[in-house]
Amino acid sequence: MVSNCYIHIPFCKNICSYCDFCKLFYNTGYVSCYLDSLEEEINTYYRGEKLDTIYIGGGSPSCLSLEEMERLFSILSVLKKTADCEVTIEVNFDSITEEKINLFKKYGVNRISFGLETTHSWILEKMNRTLDIEYVKYIISYCKKIGITNINVDLMYAFLGETLNEVEEDIDFILSLDVTHISTYSLILEEHTKLYLEQEKAISDDFDAKMYEVICSRLSSYTHYEISNFSKESYYSKHNLCYWKNNEYYGFGLGASGYLDDIRYKNTRSITHYLQKKYRYEEEDISYYDKIEYEVMLNLRTKWGISKTKFVSNYGKKFSDVYNYSKLVLDGFLIETQEFLFIPEKYWYLSNEIIVRLLEECSYE
Amino acid sequence: MEYDNIRNFCIIAHIDHGKSTLADRILEKTGAISQRELKNQMLDSMDIERERGITIKLNAVQLSYMYCGREYYLHLIDTPGHVDFSYEVSRSLAACEGALLVVDAAQGVEAQTLANLYLAIDNNLTVIPVINKIDLPNANVDKVISELENIGFSRDEIVLTSAKTGVGIDELLGAIIKKIPAPSTNCNLPLKALIFDSLFDAYRGVIISIRVMEGEVKVGDVIRMMETGAIYDVVGLSVNTPKEKQIKCLKAGEVGYLYASIKSISDVLVGDTITLDSNPASVPLPGYKAMKPMVYCGLYPIESSKFEDLRESLEKLKLNDASLSFEPETSKALGFGFRCGFLGLLHMEIIEERIEREFGIDLIATSPSVIYEVLLTDGTKIMVDSPTKMPKREVISKTLEPYVKTSIFTPSEYIGPIMELCQDKRGTFINMEYLDQSRVTIHYEIPLSEIVYDFFDKLKSYTKGYASFDYELIGYKESNLVKMDILLNGEIVDALSVIVHKDFAYSRGKIVVEKLKEIIPRQMFEVPIQAAIGTHVIARTDIKAMRKNVLAKCYGGDVTRKKKLLEKQKEGKKRMKRIGSVEVPQEAFLSILSTSEK
Repeated sequence: MVSNCYIHIPFCKNICSYCDFCKLFYNTGYVSCYLDSLEEEINTYYRGEKLDTIYIGGGSPSCLSLEEMERLFSILSVLKKTADCEVTIEVNFDSITEEKINLFKKYGVNRISFGLETTHSWILEKMNRTLDIEYVKYIISYCKKIGITNINVDLMYAFLGETLNEVEEDIDFILSLDVTHISTYSLILEEHTKLYLEQEKAISDDFDAKMYEVICSRLSSYTHYEISNFSKESYYSKHNLCYWKNNEYYGFGLGASGYLDDIRYKNTRSITHYLQKKYRYEEEDISYYDKIEYEVMLNLRTKWGISKTKFVSNYGKKFSDVYNYSKLVLDGFLIETQEFLFIPEKYWYLSNEIIVRLLEECSYE
Repeated sequence: MEYDNIRNFCIIAHIDHGKSTLADRILEKTGAISQRELKNQMLDSMDIERERGITIKLNAVQLSYMYCGREYYLHLIDTPGHVDFSYEVSRSLAACEGALLVVDAAQGVEAQTLANLYLAIDNNLTVIPVINKIDLPNANVDKVISELENIGFSRDEIVLTSAKTGVGIDELLGAIIKKIPAPSTNCNLPLKALIFDSLFDAYRGVIISIRVMEGEVKVGDVIRMMETGAIYDVVGLSVNTPKEKQIKCLKAGEVGYLYASIKSISDVLVGDTITLDSNPASVPLPGYKAMKPMVYCGLYPIESSKFEDLRESLEKLKLNDASLSFEPETSKALGFGFRCGFLGLLHMEIIEERIEREFGIDLIATSPSVIYEVLLTDGTKIMVDSPTKMPKREVISKTLEPYVKTSIFTPSEYIGPIMELCQDKRGTFINMEYLDQSRVTIHYEIPLSEIVYDFFDKLKSYTKGYASFDYELIGYKESNLVKMDILLNGEIVDALSVIVHKDFAYSRGKIVVEKLKEIIPRQMFEVPIQAAIGTHVIARTDIKAMRKNVLAKCYGGDVTRKKKLLEKQKEGKKRMKRIGSVEVPQEAFLSILSTSEK
């Protein structure tokens, strides 16, 4: 039963140099056609389930005008929600206003994810972003004031030339905002981005790992519940947890990904195709064993790891009958309890290596 | 068939000077094959030969050609063009009366041009110099003519051709008929036929290429190999035109193929003489030499379950290649594999490539080794073809290593760098011969192990590729040799051990550990790499522990992308060998050959 939904709004006021997401320059004409097409997509594919999470990401959804937002929310009104449905929208400080926040509130948004990324002007410049620190403080306090208290702030680190001290300053600033959730991402130089084309170099793995260490220890008052995510008490991102639990979700909009009926699909990244209502770009059938592999690699991103009883009930086999993980436990790369099998936090930054080793030790190949 | 209308000849050349293309053109001109049938380089039948542009196995073709109103039979014997196969070359030369010495119009005379010329002269062949590729925009025919004059040809002997466009091929065929003598024939003497090649056919067994020197051989004859003593009934005789044509009899002066249900290629040695069992010749033809491998290395399947497949592939290759030798060997690091012997480095590379390509087995090849002679304190002498077989230092009284005499042919401006290189390689200068003012042949005596190590690459880089070289084995000399071990995480990796000259051990050890550090990816823990002689560590470095291998973000639910990344990492791991707890990539085992000094 699908209970999660991702909506992609690809438009941006300006394009960040590192961004590999599906994005377009904001253009009123395009937006209105886009929303028409999005409406048709949702009406075609949505089957009426009650949703537990809705996540409006981008791009920068906040760059839509008030009218366009009204239209977006009216399209989304077809989606049925559970009583405690988490509705998140991604917001950029360069395109947010009190009016837009009021509108969010009116349409039931109860979680806002802000892209802050860095407070340092030289890095902002490299990122092709702008930021007004005072406005950040103001907007966040405004959200809280009108009752949207579940707030995430994104931080990006590991730019070439960035110092540990600068990372600490960013963290301290975010801490001062007193938000419920913090996501931190190490810069990935993706192909086809401006940074990549300008031949930006990556920092060394050692220094990157050191930054991560500093971030984790500085955020010790938060729960480090996933490789890149920290939350106050139980303010986990319910939507993201659906990915990590290997649950199904709708993905609507340009370039969106979804997982439905044992099929993982990707929508087209071509706006012309999308406007012609050619939504789906590729579909991959997920076999029983693919599903197990996804389960492993996604579950192990979190502090809970793999639930052995859930595994048996989902797959009809004991986890230990599928994977021989005793050596990894012996070496300390996995920790096993009565119920769970997880990677200890100190090895999270090596999780790919550990996951690959675990996948190699499977008995069905 | 009459005998004064037979011409037996071969084509010799430096590598890439257009030998095979010229052969194709001759085939086409004589109508042996039509343009349409002409795959480029018809005589090279293995894919790998065609790709690498070199001829590995021999071939002989009978062509008929009308000249001045008379039909001639031309036997073209193709020869391999690389120093590794020089003995095979010498035997196919021995099957001929004449040779076309092909020189590239742009490259001019090179080391192997000279080496082949001398081989041809040794075999009393009539040599026709041919300047090929005259169509090239950078051809310098006058210069090449004067080079050929410098090595003893007169201007009017030289034939100019372009195998590509067909220019000069008729003149060349005329020259072959006019200048190369017909074979001298005596069919009444007891049979003497020279074996100059063999190949294995799944239906007929070993097929032998022979040149009948004296007497004749007929289908049904009982033959005897004079060296091996093997006796067989001749089942069939044939010639290639290049399509196979069955014949009843091969007579003195003729070249053809013989098969006799021979299952074992070890009965058929290149250079051996075939005679009749009932009426044997008293002495064999001169010039037979047993072919001995010069270079050894260990070949191991990456997947240990492929060991039997590897054995099978080596057995199959051996059917066609008597010079390949192998025996099972075990390595603590690599498991079960084979110690294989080769004629030289190219031969080794070709075999490795064929196993990977034709048999689909991923291989780890250990660093190549020459055969050392070790005298023990108790007076016994042993031959060591693998570092793991090197006895302990306490029981060794003397170590000897094979030396070669190199002929390095180079433009004179590179004399300085080449001499420096040869000195670095423990070489002893012999002499220098000027071909003309700008070209010189330098002779050095150098340990074969240095040639195997990186001599060729260095020579190329020191001379911008202008120098060419050739070598011949001259025997063993005493040398202060030690076994250098490599330790990963404190454990000796036997497959990485190498025998080196003591004076060079430190620098070599340093290079190898640095190179391994570069090649071996970071592991979950810190891994020390050491080079040691006995218990004495001479170089050390550490591979730092892995710090980061994570995908921080799952883009908007796009988790398939992450899975693909993990699958790629998983594939990568399959190409690694786990030694102890360290994952070592395939290339690491050749790092011992690495030369990049920092």
